[in-house]
Amino acid sequence: MYKYDHIDQTLVDQRVAQFRDQVERRLNGTLAEEEFRPLRLQNGLYHQRHAYMLRVAIPYGLLSAKQLRTLAFIADKYDRGYGHFTTRQNIQYNWVELEQTPDILAELAKVEMHAIQTSGNCIRNITSDAFAGVAGDEYIDPRPICELLRQWSTLHPEFAHLPRKFKFAINGAKEDRTVLLCHDVGIELKKNPEGELTADIYAGGGMGRTPILGSLIKQDVPWQVLPSYLTALLRVYNRFGRRDNLYKARIKILVKALGPEEFARQVEGEWAQLHNASKNSKDNFTQAEWDRVAKHFTKPSYKSLTAVDNEQLAARFTADLDANEKIAFTRWLERNVKPHQVPGYASVILSLKPHGTAAPGDATSAQMNAIADLSDQFSFGELRVTHEQNLVLADVEQAELLNLWRAAKQQNLVLPNIGLLTDIIACPGGDFCSLANAKSLPIAKAIQERFDDLDYLHDLGGITLNISGCINSCGHHHVGNIGVLGVDKDGEEWYQITLGGEQGNDASIGKVIGPSFYANEIPDVMTSLINTYIEQRTGDEPFIDTYRRLGVTPFKEAAYKNALNKNDAKHSKGATA
Amino acid sequence: MNKQIISFPKDGKPTLIANEWQVWDGERDEGGIPDLEHGFHKVLVPFHWWITHHKNTDVINRASKGEIGVWFAADDDILKHADIIEAGKALWPVVGAHFPIFRDGRSFSTAALLRDRFDWQGEVRAIGDVLIDQLLQGARVGFDAFELRPDQKLDVAPKQFDLFSVVTQNSWRDQRATIATA
Repeated sequence: MYKYDHIDQTLVDQRVAQFRDQVERRLNGTLAEEEFRPLRLQNGLYHQRHAYMLRVAIPYGLLSAKQLRTLAFIADKYDRGYGHFTTRQNIQYNWVELEQTPDILAELAKVEMHAIQTSGNCIRNITSDAFAGVAGDEYIDPRPICELLRQWSTLHPEFAHLPRKFKFAINGAKEDRTVLLCHDVGIELKKNPEGELTADIYAGGGMGRTPILGSLIKQDVPWQVLPSYLTALLRVYNRFGRRDNLYKARIKILVKALGPEEFARQVEGEWAQLHNASKNSKDNFTQAEWDRVAKHFTKPSYKSLTAVDNEQLAARFTADLDANEKIAFTRWLERNVKPHQVPGYASVILSLKPHGTAAPGDATSAQMNAIADLSDQFSFGELRVTHEQNLVLADVEQAELLNLWRAAKQQNLVLPNIGLLTDIIACPGGDFCSLANAKSLPIAKAIQERFDDLDYLHDLGGITLNISGCINSCGHHHVGNIGVLGVDKDGEEWYQITLGGEQGNDASIGKVIGPSFYANEIPDVMTSLINTYIEQRTGDEPFIDTYRRLGVTPFKEAAYKNALNKNDAKHSKGATA
Repeated sequence: MNKQIISFPKDGKPTLIANEWQVWDGERDEGGIPDLEHGFHKVLVPFHWWITHHKNTDVINRASKGEIGVWFAADDDILKHADIIEAGKALWPVVGAHFPIFRDGRSFSTAALLRDRFDWQGEVRAIGDVLIDQLLQGARVGFDAFELRPDQKLDVAPKQFDLFSVVTQNSWRDQRATIATA
């Protein structure tokens, strides 16, 4: 777990003071709202539909128990007793007062947290693998690089007013759990044959209204020179990214317009100047800086244990479980417990997706405090935030899994739906967000209620379902196997379905199946899609594979056949979506 | 134009000084550089105007007296005209980089390129929609003079440079703080 040194602490404290002054000038009228807006956004403060919303950074998803307790305290004192974990390893508070935000930031600074660059047209909070440092398939712990780049990007003067927001993801494992290719820049860490750490750079990915997967533009960049390479890349974007049209301002549009080869050539040209060793080697990260940062990402004091597989575990605990518990616990082992690098340990995902009772990613202050206690008791006082809006206890002794399950169950955190249809990613949508065209939370709730049968969900196996309330795609619907997108037509809320999206190594962008549906049709549409899958799948074939094998037609036909039977008239209106 | 600018030399302190340079937008082209009847003998001309006029005799005369500098628009690709800028280095006492609106950050990169690529040692002045809250960023990328938008409060401005005692990336003005140096 990274610990601030006095440089980090000084910077964050001074940032709080700077923002306090900016808020004061806003309140006394010497700073106009239009000019305050980008300043507050660069401190994570939005003005939403009903109130101010504050987005707090959880760099690369890592939290201490103490930090989580502070997040709970803030939820109670300054908000309405809950927080919303986002797809980009942030937490949002939906009901803060402008006047109180400097105090909230000061509370955060006390526990080495901040809201710097969680919004605005600058380099955003850097995201990474929630299982960094513990994943069984990891070949490089990405966190030292994440932290070095977090520092490098914090209040970077040249890139404070980019054409649009700019998002980094960093991965160091065999399986990509960062949606690397849907980021402005994805950094894939590798080791070269000499054992040195290098990075492959992907650029120009993103979702939004023009979803594009990033292109590989540079291989084998030594980690030390990442500052100059990324400066070159961002400088090209800052100078030539479009500024005439908000919707065409992301780097993906520039990369697409130039072509990845030409973009890469321009970056290379700029880098050749910057990375002139005699002149600018001082920009390079040094081994001393690496050592200073990396010493905080060492392994906790693991015991020397023997690994046990899930079947053996279930068998071991059987005597302590009644029949109902046995099924629930076994399912939980199967879905919510992940392999670990260290024998005898496991990583546990706490589901923030209870069926139909809370918005995906929401946690109450009581839950946050309880989770902090669980992390102290079972996982060295640390936890992580996942891209899918769940929380992870990364270092749990396998022998403690039953105790953890029982304790977490008290807080409604053990639903064994990780990676299943109801583990829905959803943005806050029209209930909160002023950008949204449609609500997303009631759709998530309706689907979770329809598919509430855990036996059935487990039989369906892994399916991702992502919901966005507008084309900005905060709910990442483009990379859901099933995506739902809220659209507005003549003041009415409609929902468009995409199929075939996928995150991970085999990432793909889903395709729209046709005209959009009314909200109340969506559960039936889901049933039609799922039934089609059940009818067509062979053996244990996952949903995405069945879709890729058959294409959209059978799914599309089923979705519209049933919906049209019910709602003929409405669809003539919706046919232009 | 603002009667005062903030001068913040790389190794000095920020101070308010009288503004000697008039920024000309290049319009009313037929008459050439505007008459300087208000006592401003020094003019920042648009770089695109300089490209087409810098061989005119009267322009050369004025430039040789130190009365002409250029300003770069946010969309000027200064690397495309590197030869003209290299030649201009011997002539211009001051160059400007323009902010068409405060949230357009292209001129930050222009200033960085002028300092880093062109090794420009003279003044780089921020002009246009320059607000108090951009000063710190501007100072770090290479600006050492700022003509604030007229409604900005000059008394609040110099304090902006003192807000941070540490930085976490290298820039024209400072090296990132490290444990070894802090």
